[in-house]
Amino acid sequence: MKKMRWAGLMLAVMMVLTLLSGCGSSKETLNIYSWADNFDEEVLKEFEKQFDVKINYDVFANNEDLLAKIKAGGNGYDLIQPSDYMVATMIKQDLLEPLNKDNIPNWTNISDTYKNPSFDPDNKYSLVYMSGVTGIAYNTKYVKEEISSWADLWNPEYKGKVILLDDNREMIGMALKKAGLSNSTTDEAQITAAVDDLKTLLPSVLAFDTDNIKQKMIQEEGWIATVWSGDASVIAQNNPDVAFVIPKEGGTIWSDNYAIPKGSKHKELAEKFINYMLDPEVSAKNYESIGYSDPNTKATPFHTEEYNNDKMINLSEEELSRTEWLGDVGEMLQVYDRFWTELKSGRE
Amino acid sequence: MKKSNLSVLPVILWLCLFLVVPMLIVVGISFMGRDDLGNVVLDFNLESYSRFFDPLYLGIYWDTIVLSVLTTGLCLLLSYPLAYYIANAGPKMQTWGLVLITIPFWINFLIRTYAWVLLLRTQGVVNNVLLDFGLIQEPLQMLYTKGAVLLGMVYTFIPFMVLPLYVALDQMDKKLLEAASDLGASRWKSFWHITLPQTKSGIMTGSVLVYVSTTGMFVVTDILGGSKSSMISNIIQSQFLGARNWPFGSALSVIFVITSLIMIALFNRALTSKHMKTKEGR
Amino acid sequence: MKSKNHPLLGIHSLIMMVFIYVPIAFIIAYSFNSSRLAADWSGFTFDWYISLFGNRHVMEALSNSLIIAVVSTLVSTVLGTISALAIRKLGKKMKVGFGGLLYLPIIIPDIIMGLSLLVLFNQFQMPLGKITIIIAHITFSMSYVHVVITTRLIGMGNQLEEAASDLGAGAWQTFRYVTLPQIFPGIIAGALIAFTLSLDDFMVSFFVSGPSSTTLPIYIYGQVKRGISPEINALCTILILVSVTLIFLAQFMLNRGKGQKKQSVLPF
Repeated sequence: MKKMRWAGLMLAVMMVLTLLSGCGSSKETLNIYSWADNFDEEVLKEFEKQFDVKINYDVFANNEDLLAKIKAGGNGYDLIQPSDYMVATMIKQDLLEPLNKDNIPNWTNISDTYKNPSFDPDNKYSLVYMSGVTGIAYNTKYVKEEISSWADLWNPEYKGKVILLDDNREMIGMALKKAGLSNSTTDEAQITAAVDDLKTLLPSVLAFDTDNIKQKMIQEEGWIATVWSGDASVIAQNNPDVAFVIPKEGGTIWSDNYAIPKGSKHKELAEKFINYMLDPEVSAKNYESIGYSDPNTKATPFHTEEYNNDKMINLSEEELSRTEWLGDVGEMLQVYDRFWTELKSGRE
Repeated sequence: MKKSNLSVLPVILWLCLFLVVPMLIVVGISFMGRDDLGNVVLDFNLESYSRFFDPLYLGIYWDTIVLSVLTTGLCLLLSYPLAYYIANAGPKMQTWGLVLITIPFWINFLIRTYAWVLLLRTQGVVNNVLLDFGLIQEPLQMLYTKGAVLLGMVYTFIPFMVLPLYVALDQMDKKLLEAASDLGASRWKSFWHITLPQTKSGIMTGSVLVYVSTTGMFVVTDILGGSKSSMISNIIQSQFLGARNWPFGSALSVIFVITSLIMIALFNRALTSKHMKTKEGR
Repeated sequence: MKSKNHPLLGIHSLIMMVFIYVPIAFIIAYSFNSSRLAADWSGFTFDWYISLFGNRHVMEALSNSLIIAVVSTLVSTVLGTISALAIRKLGKKMKVGFGGLLYLPIIIPDIIMGLSLLVLFNQFQMPLGKITIIIAHITFSMSYVHVVITTRLIGMGNQLEEAASDLGAGAWQTFRYVTLPQIFPGIIAGALIAFTLSLDDFMVSFFVSGPSSTTLPIYIYGQVKRGISPEINALCTILILVSVTLIFLAQFMLNRGKGQKKQSVLPF
């Protein structure tokens, strides 16, 4: 009996020690905050070795979580990866540190398509990490017609087999694009018309999903879906029947970016990291492994032929010319939100 | 008397610091305004509260309550016999039973829920088995329906019902039951008049835990329901995240907490009065 | 001791166990599936187990989660037991107020709890990390423990305790030999709930975590965008096997050579 009590005490002491350990590393650390598995693991290890530093890699699940956390005072991170519209919001809210390009000479390797984007005109705060375009993925086993327009989603033959992204701005933006309008309009009448149009699509919708749309298309639960180009490539690798198209009305382009939050304690190291990642060879190795488009123009010769030939990863100039970034809609966000809640409430 | 009041002091301090203070902040925010960037600004108003009475939000709250009551009822019906069985098994079996029921829930919630997706999908195991036995001709669309959501909810919250029920059943005075059967009472009668009233504290705790947890859970609706219906907590979450309207999110939370407390009090009262009646009836 | 269970009850319990374990069986099976995303079986492999042990992020998240779960369970079980015992002796009005207060952490939406605690920690200049996550977990787990133990106490009454003190037992003796054995199943059930909640919490942990305190749920939610790796299935399989083995061993050790089983469950 006595022994048990001692064992309990020892256990408690050990726990406290484990809690306190972890704090004592002398190496400089780079605290990265991003999605899980967003980098090739070997590339990270190589950086640690080369610069004799330690990388702490913590993860969030979406942009909104990231913003709420940083805004409420969650700090201690040196490098974050917000998407395009979130970069714009974070700049407005003064949450980002300007990048010192002298520490990032490799930034010139980035393709002109992704330089100076509308959400951060002079790349003052951010540099692109990866990017894609929202288009339509469809399974040619079930969808026999040629798909070319967003309007094809409304085809009654696909009733109950349509999957839409679970994303307010993307989907209302899609309906706006279908009507030939900007995906970021602040004209309430235009938004209302687009939402009314989406309501007529609702009976066809199997599910709203952003994260698991890949699995749903691979497993052929859905026949036709709004999908990001990078995900479409993953789907097609697992299910060769699935094709992908950027509709003629054009789609929404998005990107995930590098940015440094205010209050970072290792800003220079974060910049060194960005520069390292933009090295052509490192870049090729990294994107080969994560399977998204490499914005690094000098990296092309280091990529495999298979990667360079993947049409869903490397979109053509013509396809990219038809795309539009999601702009900040200011106070109209409340209108978008109210409509989206209505669409998804399953009522009426 | 004095001593016990002292021993509760750390708990009260803890709750004041980490619960009451943050809650007061939330109540404060619910009366404030916001700018277009979503920053909370000092501007006392009741707009966030009046916005709740939009039929859209009221309707979603009603749906949430209906689903939660259904989940609680089903959980209770399924768990009571199971908890009864465990409580009446040998002492070794009791520990095993409890632990065996809890362990699956140490597996991450998302992983468990995705496992249900694999089971229920059109080409999933359940459909294949039904097809093989010729019970159905066409695969059933089970996923992304209300039924799938209900199933997922019940599955998720079973331990929250079984554990409190076990705690109450285990302590039941079994001599009373023996006496009842000696006096010729049927099994059913003695269950209704003796077992049930004696375990009402377990029913109460389990039901409250399941009800409250269901109202707060929305990932199940997203994954198994295909995000086609919303729960009040979806709305609260999206006000803090996507819509960047913290005052409205806070107001919804305050309303949510108050209505839940009222529901618990009502349920408690209903259960107590029923017990009184059975006592008088005897 | 003769079992008083009706055979129908046994069948029902068996069906319930199958219901609870069917998804688990799936998770285990898919930890051996060679394809990362496809739902169909595409070949048997041990690869996920091998890569799991090489994945430092998963391992770190797992150890964070376990440390947080164990510490917060221990503390919240003690605090929850104290408050459940103390509330009995409070006046009627205090009882309602204090009871309501203890229900709050169960009711409050996770996101409110997470965000408000984050704001609070920020005000106190408290560095975010495992300690802040533990504090948050204790705050909600304590309530669950309290509620479950109260369930037990309601049915117990205090005649036995009064008798003990009439017979001259001190406060500690009464607690140790009368109260504790009676509420012990409640403590176990409460601790099980606390441990389960802590191990599975995402939203609250997310907001109060800091650099290098990513827990397993945070990691898994972060993976969703790219697709959860079967490594996680492998990890879940190992977790289940290890917990079942540990509990089996503990039972075996406790029961060995002891006649009085109820006594030996108590560690002191």
